Amino acid sequence: MEFKDYYQIMALKRDCAQDDVKKSYRKLARKYHPDVSKENDAEAKFKELGEAYEVLKDPEKRAAYDQLGANWKGGQDFKPPQNWDDGFEFKGGGFTTDGAGAAYSDFFEQLFGQAGAHSARGRHQQGFESRGEDSHAKIHINLEDSFHGATQAISLSTPKLDAQGHVQLKHRTLTVKIPKGVKPGQHIRLTGQGNPSLGGGLAGDLYLEIAFNKHLLYRVLETDLYLDLPITPWEAALGASITVPTPGGIVELKVPPNATSGSKLRLKGRGLPTREPGHFYVVLQIVLPPADTEAAKAIYRQMQEQLDFNPRLALGV
Amino acid sequence: MNSQNLTLVHTGTVIEEDSLTLGDLCRACGTHADWIICLVEESILEPQGKEIRAWRFSGASLIRARSALRLQRDLGVNLAGIALALDLLEELDTLRRTLNHLTIQELGNND
Repeated sequence: MEFKDYYQIMALKRDCAQDDVKKSYRKLARKYHPDVSKENDAEAKFKELGEAYEVLKDPEKRAAYDQLGANWKGGQDFKPPQNWDDGFEFKGGGFTTDGAGAAYSDFFEQLFGQAGAHSARGRHQQGFESRGEDSHAKIHINLEDSFHGATQAISLSTPKLDAQGHVQLKHRTLTVKIPKGVKPGQHIRLTGQGNPSLGGGLAGDLYLEIAFNKHLLYRVLETDLYLDLPITPWEAALGASITVPTPGGIVELKVPPNATSGSKLRLKGRGLPTREPGHFYVVLQIVLPPADTEAAKAIYRQMQEQLDFNPRLALGV
Repeated sequence: MNSQNLTLVHTGTVIEEDSLTLGDLCRACGTHADWIICLVEESILEPQGKEIRAWRFSGASLIRARSALRLQRDLGVNLAGIALALDLLEELDTLRRTLNHLTIQELGNND
């Protein structure tokens, strides 16, 4: 079991005042709150912070924790000394964080007992027939899955109560059908796949939030897709018919004469196949052939001599 | 036989723009109707339909309601604060996405 340095987690000194604990918690909670923070490990950090706060804000738990000594380092292998908590009365209760989802670390549970056992008792009182809670998960799919539909195996971990009322994380795999035309941010509801009821009622539902993996070619904005399409100067100048890859297959695109770099061409209804299909936008990128042969240089020189063209006219120079 | 290779495929329903009832949303968030009604009164959620019984929420409401719940529980933010935070977070998200979109386009130009 790893030792957790709660003072380090909360960026506090061991001799800090009780007021500082709350202040530091508020500050760090805002920084690492998963809804606000964009840091990758915000969720884990926030959980760790909550656990540290749970201990340090309570003078009694803090005193017991301090008693373990100041020589422990976070991550060090740790075993609580026998009868280390003599004279303290916090076992099995007094937790402020509610719900079985708030699973504390092994370190915390060894020292202070299981918060889950406490909150589970509270939930029992809601009535035996009550329906299980709904649960939530996010899944990442490929753009193509939304175009053609797919099945995807997802692994979920759900907190479950064992016979003693302790919370255990149960892992399971669920194969889910990804329906055609889902878009990022949309939810799929799976009836009866949420948390089981504690008293023999119906299980809750599982809500899956859809997110898209990054695609090599296409960018997704709501239901529209964007593709950067490189074209030659003569295709842009004279107009051309060009083949364009789309997730639904290859499409023939007409580029009008005198097209400019950055201009967007729309392929109507070829975006995500949602209820109202999105559009497919082609963003033109004119690519110049390199002047690396005599022949190429000659052509550029010919253009220079014969075309009266100053792209800086609007700049007054 | 190869029956072991068969896996059960679960088929769900896609939550469309206006398909969640007040009850659905309460259950999905594990919260009371009073709380959701407060969110609607504060214009944090904007369901379709006039009467409470006719209210229909979008999937996006589900994300907002759950964020609101966490902001209140974890940071002690009040309703007005939640409304402000959610609006700002949404704006930030849009800006980030636009920025991402632009950066990729720019990189494309430089290739």
